[in-house]
Parts: sequence; structure tokens; C-alpha cells
Amino acid sequence: MGRRAAVVGAGMTRFVRRAQETGKELAWEAARAALDSCELSLADVDAVCLTSAPDAFDGVHMKGEHLADGAGAWGRPMIRTYVGGGSGVFVGIQAWYTVASGMADVVLVVAEEKMSSCQPHPQGAFLTIFDGVLERPLGPNLLWIFALEMNRYMDAYGLDKRDIAAVAVKNRRNAADHPSALLGGQLVTIEDVLSSETLAWPVQRLDVSPVSDGAVALVVAAEGVAEKITDRPVWIQGVGWNLDTAYWTNRDLAFPEYVANAARMAYGMADVTEPRKQIHVAEPYDPFDYKELHHLEGLLLFDRGTASEAVRDGVLDRDGDLPSCPSGGLLGVGNPIAAAGLMKLAELFWQLRGDAGARQVPGTPERGVAQAWGDLMQVGTVVVMGVEAGRARERSAAGPGAATPPAEPRGRGLSEAGFRAAPGAVEHALEARYAWDTGVAVGRFLDGLRDGRIVGRECRGCDRVLVPPRMFCERIFRATDAWVDVGTTGTVQTFSICHVAWDMERLERPQIPAVIAIDGSDGGFLHLLGEVDPASVRIGMRVEAVWLPEGARTGSISDIACFRPLTEEG
Amino acid sequence: MLEKLSRPDTVRRWPGAIPVRHRYTPGVAGEAFFEALRDRGALVGSRCRACGFTYVPARLFCERCFAELDADTEVGPAGELVSFTIVYVGADGEPLDEPVTLGLVRLDGADAVLCHRVLDAGDEPLGIGQRVEVVLRPPHERTGSILDIAGLRPAGS
Repeated sequence: MGRRAAVVGAGMTRFVRRAQETGKELAWEAARAALDSCELSLADVDAVCLTSAPDAFDGVHMKGEHLADGAGAWGRPMIRTYVGGGSGVFVGIQAWYTVASGMADVVLVVAEEKMSSCQPHPQGAFLTIFDGVLERPLGPNLLWIFALEMNRYMDAYGLDKRDIAAVAVKNRRNAADHPSALLGGQLVTIEDVLSSETLAWPVQRLDVSPVSDGAVALVVAAEGVAEKITDRPVWIQGVGWNLDTAYWTNRDLAFPEYVANAARMAYGMADVTEPRKQIHVAEPYDPFDYKELHHLEGLLLFDRGTASEAVRDGVLDRDGDLPSCPSGGLLGVGNPIAAAGLMKLAELFWQLRGDAGARQVPGTPERGVAQAWGDLMQVGTVVVMGVEAGRARERSAAGPGAATPPAEPRGRGLSEAGFRAAPGAVEHALEARYAWDTGVAVGRFLDGLRDGRIVGRECRGCDRVLVPPRMFCERIFRATDAWVDVGTTGTVQTFSICHVAWDMERLERPQIPAVIAIDGSDGGFLHLLGEVDPASVRIGMRVEAVWLPEGARTGSISDIACFRPLTEEG
Repeated sequence: MLEKLSRPDTVRRWPGAIPVRHRYTPGVAGEAFFEALRDRGALVGSRCRACGFTYVPARLFCERCFAELDADTEVGPAGELVSFTIVYVGADGEPLDEPVTLGLVRLDGADAVLCHRVLDAGDEPLGIGQRVEVVLRPPHERTGSILDIAGLRPAGS
């Protein structure tokens, strides 16, 4: 599996709401701190691995190349990777294969995010996650996906929201000891979480991590080089990543099989056969509180539906049997997307060296796992890191490790007024409009809607009827075979009651988005429920399409006004 | 499997936008540059003692060696025209009412070059290598913007 690679240095900025620093300046602060931490200079760096969110986020074209100078890439090979929220962990995988392949001995790994650039809310840049033809006409926002997944997860295993809220409480508490934390010291109780504003039921304000600006950097070095840089390298023992279908409404939302596949890949490489015994500290991805539990199950550390018992019983506490997010995670430290993922690798580095200061987990942890999630809600990225047995004890004999302060910030946090008063500050609109072609399969699907029919595509290779239809089957990669009429009735797989629009302004009347499994198909799609009391909606409820009058239909997903409870079955 | 389109104008499309605006913070070094420009009409750069390279506008760090820099070096206001172009069409491809001349200038004391408009090139054709100088807006019109520099013009004109 190529040369071994180890993390030998780490650094990060503070996570703040709006940094005075530019993205380049944040990247440099973190990268410089990482190099300083292992007493290297830029001249020692052979290659740079960089990650940052899409260009529309900051409004900077080719943001990776734009950030290159702050990431130490002047005159060096650099490539930016991006797999959505999964990026911060993936860039560690990228560093591993850059070293393992023999291409570079020392790699500088940088993750930067400046979410405050995007106005009025970063969600605006995420709207294109949704299918332009089938989903955007419904007026979706990103919270829908989390709320729909969370509701499905809770329903599938009969989970109590109190136990899920305990994750938000734990991570805020852990973050109080993190000098980089945006929310350090702002402790909350389960009651605070349960009584916070409902955004998109079951998601409430304190279930969600805060948008932030920040940067994190690592130095990764090859075997033979790493040991000369530090006597305590932390080895990248296993890496894995995996994607599920992009048709998210066709997925099992209760269990992230793609995370499990990524974990199996990483554990296989790391010779981890009993993860619950061999993993001593975990940094699962926690943009929302339920996601930490969902991902701990995906990481095969707990049986399906049982991670909530673990948080309730204190197993996931810093001094518990399996400390989870001892950093404070995204929920406590902040969520500058790509940077937040790399923070998880930095935390494992500090924890496994005994350098985590007040956050240090007890004992002598020898192996940890970090994970992130993203792309179009379908990628899992996993890294297993460890120290050699005995190393941990050597370290602990030397006494408590050094605390890990953030890089000394050169800038300050900027308020709204502070931004406006800053000389040189500017605001521009992204003045681009798009037109999305319907394509072959969706074009026919829309023709069907105009005629009051729902059509799917039959794959005789895997014996499925695909809705939304596609001309190819992504599982077995062959052309699908025939058009079939499916029902206009279905079953609610999951739903949310959403009170905010994408810009986080309150809606006058809540929307009820739902994933509806369509009768006669193996799929389903996103639509809205209507003509129903929100309080009476249940997962498993039978529903039927409510069509616009024939003359008003145009061949659009909105030709179905909504789905309503089916009163007369059969 | 593929369906042939014989009438491209009948392709059905859904319009949409990414409805966001972006705020750009000038950063630690950028604020120092714009403040000096606005308040003193000065062009402030940063000299890296290790590399001997002088950046303008000022920077927080040297991209060559990663040293921390200060906004400590005034450059210009005159310099050498490194290149120029005369632009006849706008961003939308439509002809401009008046062509715009853009120049790259290496200000005296700087290694980095700055891009700005060239004003009143006059009847004499511009030449690469010729001396040019920065023209500032009057102090009361300056807001802390790159447009506090009105443009470049041939030196001594």
C-alpha cells in the first residue's frame, strides 16, 4: 500500500463569525502555525494539498488557485480537492496518497473557509445542490435534507430527541476547553436545545453548528522523513471514501451505508477488525447533533440505532469509554466547512500525542478515527490514525502534553458595522443566471406529469423501476429498458415541517416537504404535503398526488400541486 | 437509448440563479493599504527582508518564504509601464462607447506590478517601458477603494 505517511505538525486559526483576515491570510496563519509546530520552513515542503468550498461560496473563481499563495503553493505542485462537507477529512486522504505514491516526502495540507462572504446566508450557494428541474421549483432549502434524514433516522429506531440533544450539550461542553472555539464557554442544557427555535422540524436552532470563518493545516511526511521531524509521528493507518447514489430520495436515509463502506475500506487498510475495541477516540462529523450518532453507527462503532444510548449513558464523554468529538466538534468549535473536517484530523493528532491540553482524553489512546460527510449528501470520508504501541506510554511518562493554542490571529472578528467601516471592504452580486436542460429521462417524466401520469424507467438488469427515471442504471451501469406507468399514490418515507426559507427568514406558513415512495416503483421523490393538518402527518402515511387542472399543467414538477392523505384506499 | 433532437429550440429548460452577494474583507494588510491611500494618498507595500521582494498592495505574508510582513514600504507614485492593452468591448461582448486603456505598472521601489486604467494617453502612442505616474482622486473624494487611484498617466504630462 505504498509508503507509510504520518502527521507531524498541525495548526489552526480561531473560528470566528467574520474574520478580518482574507481567506489567503487565514490559510497562511494556519499553515504557518503547522510548520512552526514541527520546526519546518516552507522550503521543506514538496507539495501542497488544499481544500475549500465551491467558488460560489466566496464569490472567487478558482478559489483553490486564488488561495494558493496563502497555502504555501508558490512554485510547488498543488491541487485542490473538494467533496463538499467531506473535504476536510478527504484532504488528509489526498495528502496520504501524495506521500504514499512517492511523489512527495513532505506535504502541507490546508483547509480554509470564509463563510461570512456569502450573503444574505451561505445557504444561497447551496441551493444548486437540489435538482434544478425536479426540486428547486418546490422552494427547498438545505435544512430540508437534514430534517428529512433526521426524522427518518429517529423513526426507524424509535429514538428520543432528548438523547440526540445530548450530543449538542456534550460538544458545547467539550468546546469550552478549545482555545479556537467560536462558542467556547457557551454551555447549553438539553432543555435549551429542545426549547430553541424550530427551524425545520425536527431540526431546532441548537441542533445545528454555527457558520464560521477559519483555517486548519497539517504537515504530513513520509516514513523515514517523519521520524526525523518528530519523535512522535502520528501515522495515517487507513483511509477510505465511498459514494452512494446522487438520487438522494432513493437512498436509505436511516443508515449511511456509504460511511460504512468507507469505514470498512479504512479499517481493512489499518488492520482494524474490531473497531469498537481498537478505536480509542473518535471524531465523527457533527454539523447537526443527530449526524454524530448517525455517523458513529456508520463507522461500525455502534449497532444501528444504539449510539443515542451511548451518549445518554456518558460513553461518548471525554472521559467515557469511547470519547467522541473531544474537540467540541462542529457544534461547539464552529463549522467553517472544509476547515472543520481537517480540525478533526488535527484533534486526533493532538490527542494521540497527548498534546490536547485541557481536552486530553484520559489513558493512552493509540488509535483514533475521523470522519466527514458531504458531496450531494452522499460521500463518507474516513481516516484512521494511530501511534505505535508503547509510544503513547512513553509520551504520558513525560507528563501532560503541551497545550495547543490557535495561531496568533493577526486580525480581529468583524461585526456588521466593522465590516462596513473597513477601508477597502466591498460587496458584489454573483450576476449569473442558469438554464438547466431537462434531459431525456426527466423530459419524458415531465411530459407524463402534464398528462396526469407518473412514469418511471424499468431496469431489467437489477429488477427495479426507477423514479425519478434515468436512461441508465447507476448500480449496474447499463441502459434502462422501458418506460412504465407507476402509481400516482405513495407512502411518506419521511417529512419535515419547515418554518424558514433558505435565507433563514421565517415563512408565514410552514412548508411540509416529504420524500414520497411512489407505488409501483422502487424510488420516490421530493414533494410537498398539503391539505393536511401538520400535526397529523406520520411516516408511513398513504398519500395521493393532487393535480393542477389539466389546462393549467405545463410539464413541471409543480403540475402536482402537492400530495395529500389518501382517504379511500384501493 | 438517446433521443435525437431535431429542433434545438424546443429543448426544455428551467431557469434559475444562485441568489447571493459576496462580501470581500480587504484583510489585515489590505486595510493598511487602503487606509494609507485614503488618508495620506500613499501607496503602501510590504518588503520581505528575507527574499528582498517588495509587494504592492501590502501583504501580511511573503508567498515565497512565508515570513510575516508589515505594511512598511511606500512605493511610487511613478513607475515603469510593463504592458498595456486597449479594450474595445465590455464584459458582455458589446462594443464600448469609448475604448478603455489598461496598464500594468511596476511602481518605483516595488517588484510586484499593479493593474489600473491609463488616463489621457493623448496623441502619443503608449510604449512599454515608458515612465508613468499614479493620479489620485482629490482627498475629499477618496473612500478607501482601488478607485481612489483615478489611474495612470505618462509621467510629467
